[in-house]
Amino acid sequence: MFKYYLKKTLRNRGFLFWSLIFPLALMTFMKIAFGGLYDMQNSIDPMKAVIVDNGSGAFSENFISLMDQLSDKSGDNYYFDLTTYEDLDEAKASLEEKENEVLFEITDEDTINIYLMPGHSVTSSCVSKAVCDSYMRNYQFLMDAFTMDPEGARKILDNMADGISYTKEKENAFSSDPDSYSWYYYSTLVMGIFLSATSGVEIVSDLRADVSSEAMRLSVSSSNKSRMMINSFLARFIPSIVIVLIQLTVMHYAIGVSMGNEIGKLILFVISCIMFSLGFGVICGLLFKGSANTRGNKTTAVVMISVFLSGEMTSQLPGVFEKYFPIINDINPATLMNMAFYRFTVCGDDLGFYMNIGKITGLSVLFLLIGIFALRREKYASL
Amino acid sequence: MSDVIKVEGLVKRYKELIALDHLDLKVKQGEIYGLLGPNGSGKTTAINCILSLLEYDKGTVTVFGKEMTPRSYDIKKDIGIVPQDLALYDSLTVYENIDFFCGLYIKDPVKRKQYVQEAIDFVAIGDFVKFKPKKLSGGLKRRLNIACGIAHKPKLIFFDEPMVAVDPQSRNKILEGIVELRNSGATVVYTSHYMEEVEQICDYVVILDKGNKIAEGTIDDLKNMIKKSEIITIEAAGVDEDTLESIREMKNIFSVNYENDLLIVEAGNGKHNVIDIINILQDKGYMMKKIFSEQPTLNDVFLELTGKNLRDE
Repeated sequence: MFKYYLKKTLRNRGFLFWSLIFPLALMTFMKIAFGGLYDMQNSIDPMKAVIVDNGSGAFSENFISLMDQLSDKSGDNYYFDLTTYEDLDEAKASLEEKENEVLFEITDEDTINIYLMPGHSVTSSCVSKAVCDSYMRNYQFLMDAFTMDPEGARKILDNMADGISYTKEKENAFSSDPDSYSWYYYSTLVMGIFLSATSGVEIVSDLRADVSSEAMRLSVSSSNKSRMMINSFLARFIPSIVIVLIQLTVMHYAIGVSMGNEIGKLILFVISCIMFSLGFGVICGLLFKGSANTRGNKTTAVVMISVFLSGEMTSQLPGVFEKYFPIINDINPATLMNMAFYRFTVCGDDLGFYMNIGKITGLSVLFLLIGIFALRREKYASL
Repeated sequence: MSDVIKVEGLVKRYKELIALDHLDLKVKQGEIYGLLGPNGSGKTTAINCILSLLEYDKGTVTVFGKEMTPRSYDIKKDIGIVPQDLALYDSLTVYENIDFFCGLYIKDPVKRKQYVQEAIDFVAIGDFVKFKPKKLSGGLKRRLNIACGIAHKPKLIFFDEPMVAVDPQSRNKILEGIVELRNSGATVVYTSHYMEEVEQICDYVVILDKGNKIAEGTIDDLKNMIKKSEIITIEAAGVDEDTLESIREMKNIFSVNYENDLLIVEAGNGKHNVIDIINILQDKGYMMKKIFSEQPTLNDVFLELTGKNLRDE
């Protein structure tokens, strides 16, 4: 049974077109049309930074050493024009007067405080935070390394500087001016994933005798309905995963869009979003009336509206909603998926990512439970 | 013969509409049981209730002597259905469609392969096994629909209006096949609003109208239920009103119509109706070109019982 369900899915031209071909074509088009623009936008100017060192010992020395790395005009990671102040108030005043963009205060408790100039850019806050977070995470490890092998520790510092580069985009996912380039790709990926909702509708037409005559024939058979359900779901779920992995591969290697560097999160994102999309499709298939095709078309329309509201066409739209109608972002499935991806790949916002994934997974479970309850029905009021 | 299906007091309502009104049916093993009635008479509803697909308000349904429920898998394994709407997957080939539906019942791949091949041979679609259904003609699709329903060799098969949009050649082939299935031991429930098909193959017929059983019996039983037993048609030119009146006054004559040189007489049971009419015409000196007598059809039965044509909506 699974074999034939799988064949049905793979021979479904509509599914392959909307889930695979259309998003890839759109991505290719965007790469050709806007690729050069991205390269220009993606190079950031070094920001004026100031350090006030109130600490002592290895913690402050190593941090200053790291900052020197990041201020090396001849290096690959030239992010800061660095100066040192003795007095914190004087340094803060330089921020007020906009002589400097960011202030790093190393305290005597081995912590680092970050101050930003009024009206600072999101980029400066994002990069500054990334530097400190990275340093704090690796500090203890560095301490050991400097004791054992100072040269090796230098290499770690170099790597740390490299690791910061991927976080150089905006911090706030709902920014009124998000990174449009990445945003469009992520939206397109999410659109492809979300369009697998039409497969969810097919699960309904596979199994509901009041939707298709094929399902009626299945209902009369001696095969267990739970078994049919599992087979039908897996025959949609597995190809959807493969399709998304193809898209991610193309995005990363052919187009050069950042995927973050945490494969676990990426897999979690893909699995939860596909489950959500299939569950959403099942709910649409149950709620909409008409033939299986009509239900599928209506679902496609809902998905496209959702994708549009998530900023596929206008990347500023979620920012506008966040300001005036935040509930739209909270309930729009495409925005939830988009934000999860953006937060994890661009912002390094783990909490935001997990919150979005939590919402998506929760809704997936809810949808699938409702779907199982409705699809296991074997007797109907009318056919 | 034992009852394969026993339906007692089946009531199905759709809000105000009563689709089945205390329907009783008994289908005996090894017969082709015809459910005849116009569209909307409750034939498909009755089948769906028997198959436990449709909720019903009252009544009991037993199949193979056991109560039929949605989870009666031991009963379902011996049931096949050929639904009114084509139940085929467009993305699978002819072979794959049959194999898929057969696979719902037969798990052993070797046995299934043999069954699928036999079903292909049975409906004679061997030349099209690699075709997708949309490439097939209407008749071939119907034959494939049948193959999908019978491949697992069920003991009880439901054919729900299987001949809709089927060409005459395919129709005869399919009807012969259904008789063959009966001859090989299967019990068949056959619904149709084409009385010719039912007359041709059914051993026992129930006529439904508005959810009520209005008559049942063998074809001959049903025909005997009505007064009219013979329709006599004679081509004769210029028959006058006196002659027509003489025919009307004959015993067993229900109606006499004369139009365009055709005399059509509906008569009841009588041994010499044709001879008596011919004698009257000969006595008056009329020349007769064609003479023929027809037995009443099921449509005549239906017409007399309900006052309307079987194919009425």
